[in-house]
Amino acid sequence: MRDKNQYKRILAIFICFLIIPLGVLLIWSFSKNWSWPNVFPSKFGLRGWEYFFDSSSNSINILFFSICLSLVVTFFTLIITIPAAKALSFYEFKGKKIIELLIYAPIIVPPVAVAMGIHFQFIKIGLANTFIGVVLVHIIPCIPYSVRILKSVFELMGRNIEEEALDLGANRLQCYIYITLPLILPGVLSAGSIVFIVSFSQYFLTFLIGGGRVVTFSMLMFPFIQSGDRMIASVYSIVFIVTTVVVLFIVEKMTYKFYRDVKRWYL
Amino acid sequence: MKDKLKPYILLSPVLLIIALVFLSGIIMAIVQSFGYFRVAGLNEFTLRYYREVLGSDSFLSSLSFSLYTSLVSSIVAVIFGVLLANTIAKYKNGNNVIKYLYGIPIIVPHIVSVLLVYNILSNTGVLPRILYGIGIINSASEFPSLLYDENGIGIIITYLWKEIPFVAFTTYTVLARISDEFLEVASDLGATNKQAFFHVTLPLLMPSILSSFIIIFAFSFGAYEVPLLLGPTKPKALAVQAFIEYSNPVLENRPYAMVINVIITFISFILASIYYRLFQKIHKY
Repeated sequence: MRDKNQYKRILAIFICFLIIPLGVLLIWSFSKNWSWPNVFPSKFGLRGWEYFFDSSSNSINILFFSICLSLVVTFFTLIITIPAAKALSFYEFKGKKIIELLIYAPIIVPPVAVAMGIHFQFIKIGLANTFIGVVLVHIIPCIPYSVRILKSVFELMGRNIEEEALDLGANRLQCYIYITLPLILPGVLSAGSIVFIVSFSQYFLTFLIGGGRVVTFSMLMFPFIQSGDRMIASVYSIVFIVTTVVVLFIVEKMTYKFYRDVKRWYL
Repeated sequence: MKDKLKPYILLSPVLLIIALVFLSGIIMAIVQSFGYFRVAGLNEFTLRYYREVLGSDSFLSSLSFSLYTSLVSSIVAVIFGVLLANTIAKYKNGNNVIKYLYGIPIIVPHIVSVLLVYNILSNTGVLPRILYGIGIINSASEFPSLLYDENGIGIIITYLWKEIPFVAFTTYTVLARISDEFLEVASDLGATNKQAFFHVTLPLLMPSILSSFIIIFAFSFGAYEVPLLLGPTKPKALAVQAFIEYSNPVLENRPYAMVINVIITFISFILASIYYRLFQKIHKY
């Protein structure tokens, strides 16, 4: 019994450690006057939010542009990692270890080093300061996460069910549309969410390769945090978090709906 | 024959992107670190830049600052992460708890977690306000500077905020699979809770503990934003120093930036390969 209380206490401390800073963020975003040494703001107001919604700050356009950029990154990362994950889970071949090492290496090698190394080449071939250049460089840190998730999905699915479909006379396309895709779709959606988050949170890669021409929401937010403008920075941080939550929520609803439809098929 | 080629065909798009962007980025960094950068008129391979960088005091203090902040934060994150996972595993609906706890720091990017820490620990943050309110300090300046300081407390806490739940999640997935029977057998044989944890649970968790340690260490060791926003002016973290060298308009300065980049990458790789060896050893048992 004493044990149980102790566990509860530890958990409570952790939850406070995680949640309290977010609460402070929320209060800051709605404060108008919060001077030292007040523990709570003396006046609440919407100045921060007005600034965000004001068209002269261009924030909403940049937010939508940033979402689009990350969706493009997500799309291309999935397109290239789905076949890769399939190869790694179903086939044994020469050089598999080395290839796996290469695919997971971006987790270990800091993106700062890669970006500075490739920047000059990108300038030479005209990819620097362009949308495509930024998308390309965002894909790199996303690859390991996506492959890891998709690989476990393929391993769970197994190889037999595809082969059975082929034996029963389905052609490759039919097999892919009716068998493989429905089975891996939930995994694809969860890989996609992680990739979206990784891309949406990038700062340095966009900053260097985008060269100030490609402006994402992280870049818009950065100077406010750097200058310590707590009210505006808090507003932008909340918008950032809410955007991610909304995107994840939509993905989860899609998965749920998909499962419900599939159940009708199989049960 | 066709079947033999198939995995390579499936892998080719990913490998193409990795080769064109990632690998060539690293190769360029290595080549330039040896002083070969034609545009700047540097045509010879030389170890000069390595010698200069490794011999400079400012580099060595940057290196030790980066090692210190990332080692401390990673070790503390692992300890608390395992503690948290173990605590949650004792609950019936632990799955729900971990799902939400894990989710929060994942959707909050590092620059926002910097702001969270700044809001609370800066000289006019919430914590000094509370301490002032209850009379422990008499002015904002009496609050010890935790940010922009050589002790790196602000940086470490920022990492911890993100990393503890990450470690908790990766170890929890393994922990949930360790059947209660193991622990029951241990306690039937007379082991205390503590003994059961250290001799049964912990060894089973070791591979996931080590792999999450490597991931968070490598990330914080090469990180740019967090030490830029919360670090001291001196010493600067390695990635921050590298970018300062990089943005020098004099192109002949580039090799210094690349040497630092290569050293960051090298150290992270050494650690990862030690992990790989260890993992193979653990696997044997």
